[in-house]
Amino acid sequence: MKTRRWTFGLLAAICVTGMALPPRAVAQVSLTDFNALKEAVQKLSEQVQGLQQTNVLREQIHEQDVQQIQQLQEKLAATRQIATDAEQKSIEAAQAQPPSRQPIDEATVNHNFMILGDAEFQYAKSAGQHGAFALADFAPIFLYRGGDKILFEAGFDTTLQNGSAPTPSDPTVNHDSGYSTSFDLSFAQLDYVMNDYMTLCAGDLLLPLGTYSERGAGWLNKIPDDPLAVDALIPGSGIGAELQGGIPLGNAGKLLNYSVYGVNGPSSMDGSGSAGQLDLGGNVGVRSDGTTANLHGHPTGGARLGVFMPFKPHYDLELGISGQSGEWDDAGSHLYTAGVFDAALHLGPSFEAKGEYILTRYGSDDLGEVHQQGWFAQAGYKLAGLNLELPVINNVELVGRYDSLHDGMGTSTRRYTAGFVYYFTNTLLFEGDYEFLHSTDPSQVGQFILQLSYGF
Amino acid sequence: MKGQKLILRGAAALVGACLFSFGLSPVQAGPAAGADAASSPTNSVELKAPAQDAKPAAVRKQLTGAELYSMHCNRCHPERYPTERTAAQWKTIMLHMQVRANIPVEQSKLILQYLQDNSGR
Repeated sequence: MKTRRWTFGLLAAICVTGMALPPRAVAQVSLTDFNALKEAVQKLSEQVQGLQQTNVLREQIHEQDVQQIQQLQEKLAATRQIATDAEQKSIEAAQAQPPSRQPIDEATVNHNFMILGDAEFQYAKSAGQHGAFALADFAPIFLYRGGDKILFEAGFDTTLQNGSAPTPSDPTVNHDSGYSTSFDLSFAQLDYVMNDYMTLCAGDLLLPLGTYSERGAGWLNKIPDDPLAVDALIPGSGIGAELQGGIPLGNAGKLLNYSVYGVNGPSSMDGSGSAGQLDLGGNVGVRSDGTTANLHGHPTGGARLGVFMPFKPHYDLELGISGQSGEWDDAGSHLYTAGVFDAALHLGPSFEAKGEYILTRYGSDDLGEVHQQGWFAQAGYKLAGLNLELPVINNVELVGRYDSLHDGMGTSTRRYTAGFVYYFTNTLLFEGDYEFLHSTDPSQVGQFILQLSYGF
Repeated sequence: MKGQKLILRGAAALVGACLFSFGLSPVQAGPAAGADAASSPTNSVELKAPAQDAKPAAVRKQLTGAELYSMHCNRCHPERYPTERTAAQWKTIMLHMQVRANIPVEQSKLILQYLQDNSGR
């Protein structure tokens, strides 16, 4: 368009110029000038034609561009339609089919069932007896977690023993024959975490009289058998309910531990109040005739208060005091009372020492008030702490224990135990010890024990 | 009577030990340069240490899940490696141990986080 304007403008200017020239001037134009002017006009005319041709070409190119844009717009619209159709189809397909299963992050599952526990195999040689493979013990613990606050846990103990033995009550039996398998429920409790500092436990509870009962599983105890006083003087478990928890003392990891419980308590083996009939674990709430009843009138109460003081990882001191008191004979005329003071010390990953002092007393028909006491102290040192870099030595822990028991009925026993633990792994232990025993009861003798323990 | 005296002596010893412990300065509570920065903010609880050299500002350090794991597990048994169990298994085991060792829930969660972060899968 501009080219045309320029062309017409130029021609108009030329015409105006020509008309405006005076006749006198025309007369004065020479032929040469006229020819030059003519050539100039011709050149201008050629330029105008060239510009017109260029303009035509540009218009053609523009037309082509417009057509291409239209084609692209049509293709874009078609593509959009295809996408819209595909989206619609996918929505319809999703509505028509059930949602696909997503893989579950195992860490977020709300319940879980597990088996933990331990197994022990033992060889023992008592003084004056033949050595024997004495124990095959399988003690699984079943755990079922229902959510973050509920846990059911039950522990069993399966052991073998010979079928019969000569006893004073049955002198006709003169030799063991066959074997039997004992299957005992060690504990079975339902735990409900009420808040950060309190848990309610109910069932067959491991009693917090000291700490050994709760921490005495075969592979946890570094000596194959239990301390005399723990076995003889206090119950390991009881049927009842318990509130327990830990309260932080400051921010250094220090804890105040507490436990308060009520259980059926001990009973009498024959129902009488005779001193020798005290049965620490025989009152489970169901009588032999199937009726549900405590064997005596009232339950037994107990508690433990402890303080755990870590100074840094692997360095800590734990002290506790616990007690229990309640009726034990059927008539409910006598009380059984126990008090336990416990302590545990860790000085680095290689050294551990712990012990308990146990004091009990109970009334009886025949001996009056029976006073019992006993205690044990044991220590262990892992030779890895010497940094000798010797492969066998590094896996050895030396252990020792002193036991004392006075049963209140004339028998006193002292026992010195020295032994070792060889760690094949952190859970597979080979233990060995020799027990030097001094007792007023001649039937109790020293023994040598080897044990393979595995915790799983 | 003798037994009662012994119980009373034991109780007195425990109370004395508690009072003694409250006055102790934990070793890890000392001012450790960079200790705060090295600790994981999501896996720790605050540890307030007594000021030393009469400085008014309290020195704080974080107790991590790993430290709590070392403190508590070692109370009863050799430490188990986090890789021995899966994350879900640790969740169940940790609830069991929380009850068995009377560990406060907050500390139990930190230990669980440490075990799960380093678990078998």
